[in-house]
Amino acid sequence: MIESALDGLLLVLQWKALAFMGLGILLGFWVGLLPGLGGVTTLALMLPFIYAMKPHEALAFLLGMHSVVATTGDITSVLFGIPGESTTAAIILDGHSMAKKGEAGRALGAALSSSLLGALVGALALALAIPIVRPLVLAFGSPELFMLAIVGLAFIASLSGHGARGMVRGFIAGGLGLLLATVGQDPQAGVARFTFGTLYLWQGLDIVAVLVGLFAVPEILDLVVRGSSIAGDNTRVGKVGRGVLEGVKDTFHHFGLAIRCSLIGTFIGITPGLGGPVAQWMAYGHAVQSAKTEEERKGFGRGDVRGVIGPGAASNSKEGGSLIPTIAFGVPGSASMAVILGGFFLMGLVPGPDMLTKNLAITYSMVWTIVLANIITVAACLVFLNRLASLTNVPGELLVPVILVLIFIGAYTANNQYGDLVVMLLCGGIGWLMVVAGWPRAPFVLGLVLGKIAENYLYISVARYHASWLTRPIVVALFAIAVVVICYPIWQARRTRRARA
Amino acid sequence: MRIRFALFTALALLALVGCNRQSQAPYFEGKTLTIVVGYKPGGGYDTVARLLSRYLPKYIPGAPTVIVQNMPGANSLIAANYVYAQAKPDGLTIGTFNRNLPIGQLLKVDGVKFDMLKFAWIGSAASETTVLAVRDDLPYKTFDDMRKAKEPIVVGATGPGANTYDFPLLLKEFLGVNLKLVSGYSSSADIMLAVERKEADARAGSYSSIAPFVERKLVHPVIRSRASEPEIANLPTDESLAPNPRAKAMMALRSAPEVVGRPYVMTPGTPDNLLNILRDAFVKSLADPDLLAEAKKSDMTLNFVSGDQALEVMKEVLNQPKDVVDEFRKYVKFGE
Repeated sequence: MIESALDGLLLVLQWKALAFMGLGILLGFWVGLLPGLGGVTTLALMLPFIYAMKPHEALAFLLGMHSVVATTGDITSVLFGIPGESTTAAIILDGHSMAKKGEAGRALGAALSSSLLGALVGALALALAIPIVRPLVLAFGSPELFMLAIVGLAFIASLSGHGARGMVRGFIAGGLGLLLATVGQDPQAGVARFTFGTLYLWQGLDIVAVLVGLFAVPEILDLVVRGSSIAGDNTRVGKVGRGVLEGVKDTFHHFGLAIRCSLIGTFIGITPGLGGPVAQWMAYGHAVQSAKTEEERKGFGRGDVRGVIGPGAASNSKEGGSLIPTIAFGVPGSASMAVILGGFFLMGLVPGPDMLTKNLAITYSMVWTIVLANIITVAACLVFLNRLASLTNVPGELLVPVILVLIFIGAYTANNQYGDLVVMLLCGGIGWLMVVAGWPRAPFVLGLVLGKIAENYLYISVARYHASWLTRPIVVALFAIAVVVICYPIWQARRTRRARA
Repeated sequence: MRIRFALFTALALLALVGCNRQSQAPYFEGKTLTIVVGYKPGGGYDTVARLLSRYLPKYIPGAPTVIVQNMPGANSLIAANYVYAQAKPDGLTIGTFNRNLPIGQLLKVDGVKFDMLKFAWIGSAASETTVLAVRDDLPYKTFDDMRKAKEPIVVGATGPGANTYDFPLLLKEFLGVNLKLVSGYSSSADIMLAVERKEADARAGSYSSIAPFVERKLVHPVIRSRASEPEIANLPTDESLAPNPRAKAMMALRSAPEVVGRPYVMTPGTPDNLLNILRDAFVKSLADPDLLAEAKKSDMTLNFVSGDQALEVMKEVLNQPKDVVDEFRKYVKFGE
């Protein structure tokens, strides 16, 4: 195994593979940075170029591009509050709040260092999991996936405001998200639900358009109303260079949290069918749980660096994880992986047991690609961070038109339809109302991204196993975790109250 | 006089040749041809379109630029409506979309604003065979074994309107086989994983998508639909086992669009000369050894079905008596 790992490294270190990786990184850098221009689409566009490449070169190219997208997507999310990718929205809550406090540099430093850490953990998990990957994935059937979605929904408890009132609001927002997830043609009876006679809604609401509206629109309104730059009067930005270093230090200060969130990301990645956007939100929920006192809890969403480290770590670690089902079963763990899977066939590689025995060196070359691409990107970003962070000092009236163009294009590229813009604007209105009224947006998104998953796997579980699935050991264990996740904030609140009394 | 006449003739000829030259200056030269795909990038329809877009210019006089535009939504109804009514019939827009659109038209689905018979048909780039494949470790070697099964056989599916669902549904309804359909899986790869972890016993789908798993000895096909591929020609077809003409009509109607597996059309009213140029370019592209080599690499089986043949299939689907349509409606919905 160690021999294959070394062979894999040597494959990646050949100059041609390295050059292709560099090209991929360069492309991925911009794709991630620009909202709307999605990683999946770009991967699909790049597929024809790999015909002439050798498998390890092509994989270095595709994976190099793919691993960078999530990292640079975080940058857009932090700086402007626009989700650069649908998978990097959770980092906005605290990352952008920090930018508004004039701590853009620190937030970026934390985001990048945690995503590097996440990528390394994800790659390590991938490397270690290779011998046991098949039984691991096969242990997760539809009932287990349904329960995992429930655990995800349970995180609403920690993503809501404190106190009974906050909790109720959080669960109402989550319920609203679940409700919106039902829009579109349902897979059991083929009935079109809540489509109001439009063709656009048949496919359901597009997550990119919803996220851009929900998060970017309120930020823009806020920027216009304040009439200043993003960082406002907080002139600490002058010391951005030191801020970056501070952010890197923060990641190591909260090392345990970063590792735990990386593992959450890896795990979500391994499980095919849960999808990329879920990982960051669950990691964010976990980061919020790390708050020890009520005051700390209140700080989340207002620029706590832990709210940056958690999602940052998860967004990259899930990529290593999602390679696992792709390689071992030919079942893509995410939309991007589905395209990379197409690339596998082009290169004459058949995913399945062969990749873990005969082609093990190539499998390890993928692990190395993820590691190297992330190190290169983060190193390159650290050089640029000063300039990037100082964008938060640009006066609002110069920035707003550019951001507006970006979010309109970003939402429109979801399906190339005007419906995308309508959805974006409506969600923008909802997002603004939620911000003004003090309702949490995170539970809403969690409900939306988990709604369909929960519905389908529940249906399959009941249709296939009736009630007997409820007693499967992993289902029971996950249920226990869900209960703990819900009760933890309540228990925490009670403890602090008692401590005070 | 003679010289003058000769000169005149020569000039006239020159003029004629010149005129000819001008009218023959290829129409497509310097133009951009758009292939509108009814799905997001990355899927089967998109992959075939992108492959073709790189070979078509070679075979169209004037070598136009060929680009692919994705117009996803509503199982490609949006793209079909666009190519039908909004695009100009100038030969510069090609549409490729859901093979089940004629079923949608037959069932009078809301949102269908086109008539499949009126498109200018280029043809189809492939036909698809649907098979039902069952896990190797189960005691069902043939379809007959399955019919004798007492325990229900669990068939994983995506949802109504997809061949993963409709094909086994008709088998269950008409051929007396004890199937239990479980739908809601997000993709055919997902169903395959469910089969692998023994949550599902069988799955239906296009043979091309199942073939790799047959090689891996996970599943084996037991019954197929009408269109065939050499490796599975010996399997029984659903129609051959149909107990009565009604059942057979249902199955025939469901599988008819599969012959036109990757349909390519242009806007109604596209001039015949332009349509013929494209038909010609399609035939030649799909015979190009480089294209075939690329297709083989990505496990695609391409074969040209002519526009006239495609139109015949559309007529067969759409000219059904009302009672057949009403019965069909009970089982099959428009989807994917």
